[in-house]
Amino acid sequence: MSLRTIGLRRYLQVSGILIILGLVVELFSLIWFHPLAFVLFAFLGASMMGLGMIVYLASIVFISEPRVDRRSTN
Amino acid sequence: MFGPSALLYALIGLTIVLIATVAFRPAITTGAAGKILAFTALFLLPALCVAAGVSAHMERSHETRFCISCHSMENYGKSLYVDDPHYIPAAHFQNHRVPADSACNACHADYSVYGNLKDKMVGMKRVYMQFVSKPPNPIRIEGGFKNNQCLHCHLGARSFEEGPTHQTMMDSLKSGDVSCISSGCHDTVHNAAQVDQQKMWRPAQ
Repeated sequence: MSLRTIGLRRYLQVSGILIILGLVVELFSLIWFHPLAFVLFAFLGASMMGLGMIVYLASIVFISEPRVDRRSTN
Repeated sequence: MFGPSALLYALIGLTIVLIATVAFRPAITTGAAGKILAFTALFLLPALCVAAGVSAHMERSHETRFCISCHSMENYGKSLYVDDPHYIPAAHFQNHRVPADSACNACHADYSVYGNLKDKMVGMKRVYMQFVSKPPNPIRIEGGFKNNQCLHCHLGARSFEEGPTHQTMMDSLKSGDVSCISSGCHDTVHNAAQVDQQKMWRPAQ
């Protein structure tokens, strides 16, 4: 399956879910007062958000919408 | 009314709502405004949340209660309450010579240019020792306690500079040839192993 066929919709969803999970981990790490909270945030939360952002940027680069030819055809 | 933490929580909440909107209703991203919204929701705001999260965790790691939340640091935390002015950390903590809520950081921070970063690396190593390997007993500071950490505050202070003992050895103190805490002068520091046998100060509520 090529990158184009996967579609922008799927890319946005995967990216969105990864970032939301990362944000939930960040929220939990901020509430949890423990030395491991930073480790959790840095290695799990920030990594998930970073990956989600990369997926989104990849969707901009690899998935291009078909151009609409606005010129008149008559 | 709202502290930095509340703002960060609000930012995270807003980001989650925007991401959910963009990711599950991708039709709104077809126009130029929708694309800007998607870029904001899926890149700019998450990047801001990561930066703000790092900053919040860094700030929190300066707190005294954070340092003593590890089991192996418990006695070091107790030593701040020893009722004996010869205990250097206790005397500083109890008399607010250092901010009580960031007492550990005030005396143990590396005040050099990249000191904060170095401190965090050492902190990560200690977290590893606490949760994966085994913390040393007694806990030792790598390279020993540096005079610069005392001099950061005391240098230039009248009571320190005019002290006859300090005057005679000022150059050695500055160069680190003579240690403030292990040269027979201010050598009662945490003494964590014996802290349970000491009389403790109980602050009035």
